[in-house]
Amino acid sequence: MTQLLAPKPVDRPKLDEASRQRLERAFSVPRARFGAGLAIAVVLFVWSSMGAQFNFLELGEGASNMGEFLLRLFPPTWDKLGTIVDLLIETLQMAIVGTVLGAVLSLLFAFGAASNIAPRWVYYPFRWGMNIIRSLPDLVIALMFVSAVGLGPFAGILAMTVGSIGSIGKVFAEAMESVDRGPITAMEAVGASRRQIIQYGILPSAAPMLTSYTLLLFEGNVRGATILGLVGAGGIGLELTTAMNMYDYGHLSAMVICIIVLVTVIDQASAIIRRKIT
Amino acid sequence: MSTLVETRRVSLRDLRVRYSPTEPYVLDGVDLDLLAGETVALLGASGSGKSTLMKALTGFAPITSGEAQMAGYDLTRLRPKQLREVRSQIGQIFQQYNLIGRLSVLTNVLTGTLYNAGPVNVLGTFSAADRRRALELLDRVGIVHKADEQARTLSGGQQQRVAIARALMQSPRVILADEPVASLDPRMSHTVLSLLQSIAKDEGIPVLVSLHVLPLALAHSDRIVGLRHGSIVVQGNTSDLDADALAPVYDVHGDEEM
Ligand SMILES: Nc1ncnc2c1ncn2[C@@H]1O[C@H](COP(=O)(O)OP(=O)(O)OP(=O)(O)O)[C@@H](O)[C@H]1O
Ligand SMILES: [Mg+2]
Repeated sequence: MTQLLAPKPVDRPKLDEASRQRLERAFSVPRARFGAGLAIAVVLFVWSSMGAQFNFLELGEGASNMGEFLLRLFPPTWDKLGTIVDLLIETLQMAIVGTVLGAVLSLLFAFGAASNIAPRWVYYPFRWGMNIIRSLPDLVIALMFVSAVGLGPFAGILAMTVGSIGSIGKVFAEAMESVDRGPITAMEAVGASRRQIIQYGILPSAAPMLTSYTLLLFEGNVRGATILGLVGAGGIGLELTTAMNMYDYGHLSAMVICIIVLVTVIDQASAIIRRKIT
Repeated sequence: MSTLVETRRVSLRDLRVRYSPTEPYVLDGVDLDLLAGETVALLGASGSGKSTLMKALTGFAPITSGEAQMAGYDLTRLRPKQLREVRSQIGQIFQQYNLIGRLSVLTNVLTGTLYNAGPVNVLGTFSAADRRRALELLDRVGIVHKADEQARTLSGGQQQRVAIARALMQSPRVILADEPVASLDPRMSHTVLSLLQSIAKDEGIPVLVSLHVLPLALAHSDRIVGLRHGSIVVQGNTSDLDADALAPVYDVHGDEEM
């Protein structure tokens, strides 16, 4: 029996000489590529800084102006704390609604953009749609909604919702594509429907990643919601620009401090939750 | 009764399968009958076509020509809509168990009824009767105490027994197990294989098990079928066979790939 299963003597396949030499000095290959990459990066940087009028001397002057500006920010004045808190709550509420709507829509879009769920003729339009949304800056989307539904937080929420599809729809789709093939095969094998295959074969495995990305989206939306006010789409952003234009630096710095506290608390909490679920 | 026996068997005549018209046949004229209540071990070197045979019997690989009666269906005349129905009647067991790791053991077993689960199942619900039955089946494979745990926390042997319970939950007319013990230690291999053999007897259904280990096949089957290059080269009652009789399966002169 042992003789039966013993490997036969064979000519083992050989590696051709050129490949062998290339593999044996494998380190020179990345080095050549790295050198070329570095040269291109330097040329690009020089070209861009000339075009964008980047100047180290001005940077020095700018730094001293910046210092003056920072000095003027102190001390913060807290007499309008009530307004700040109200606006921050509005900002947070916008982020919450925008994230929930955005996550739900992104999930629906992701079904269309996951190659293991959607047929080809659905997959490509959905991917393109997401890429187009992705290519639009958030403030541009916000401006479009401000002109559509008028000034205020509603426009901001719509902007965040649509922006989310571009930013996490694709990540959601990739999370679903990356799930293990095994459970999907098993669900096909018991005669499950397409809906059941998604429900049992894909979503449970993708759920931790989907939740984690939703929290990341929320963190981003809280930060994003603070500047949507710049284009009149609600939140604390409008008050920020107004204070800046009216040289109300004490109020401005109080707002900045509050934003820093809020964003930090939310980022930390979200990071803790994300660590727990994965 | 006679229809029951009719649906609990597999009958293949001159079955040929190839994955593309430009490639050679992977299954090249297989004649095989699997009868109610018997456990048949499928042996064959790597690449001989064992998995392809299992896939062809469940619509995961195309049947190029020949006849294939499976669990009361003619696989060569299947309407696309019937595929799910046929699969729901065939219990499949895989080398990597293929459980849903983040769902409970009980829910995993319950997925065996998905084909018959009503529309309320959108909410992930299963009937009390189904739940009772799933628990009974878990008891039968000896892991009912793990019912509420996440499937991924179980050992390989435990997971494979959950997979068997899931297959039983389908009330299958046939069970196909593709290398079910290839990732298990010898003791657990015996446990799982004798479980499969007793299921074949108790349920009165055919069980086809592909294996790589000769002694396991000799210990846990009623019949052995040896596949080589897509054709059956040895076939007989297990009690009549020994290692020498099975030698042609493993091809002493060696032209399998390394
Ligand atoms: N999806 C596929 N497309 C093309 N060729 C395939 C496909 N699946 C299997 N084959 C080929 O069919 C042949 C038989 O493969 P199969 O998986 O059935 O062998 P096996 O007996 O199960 O081997 P193992 O013991 O390694 O699991 C192999 O040559 C393989 O390359
Ligand atoms: Mg195989």
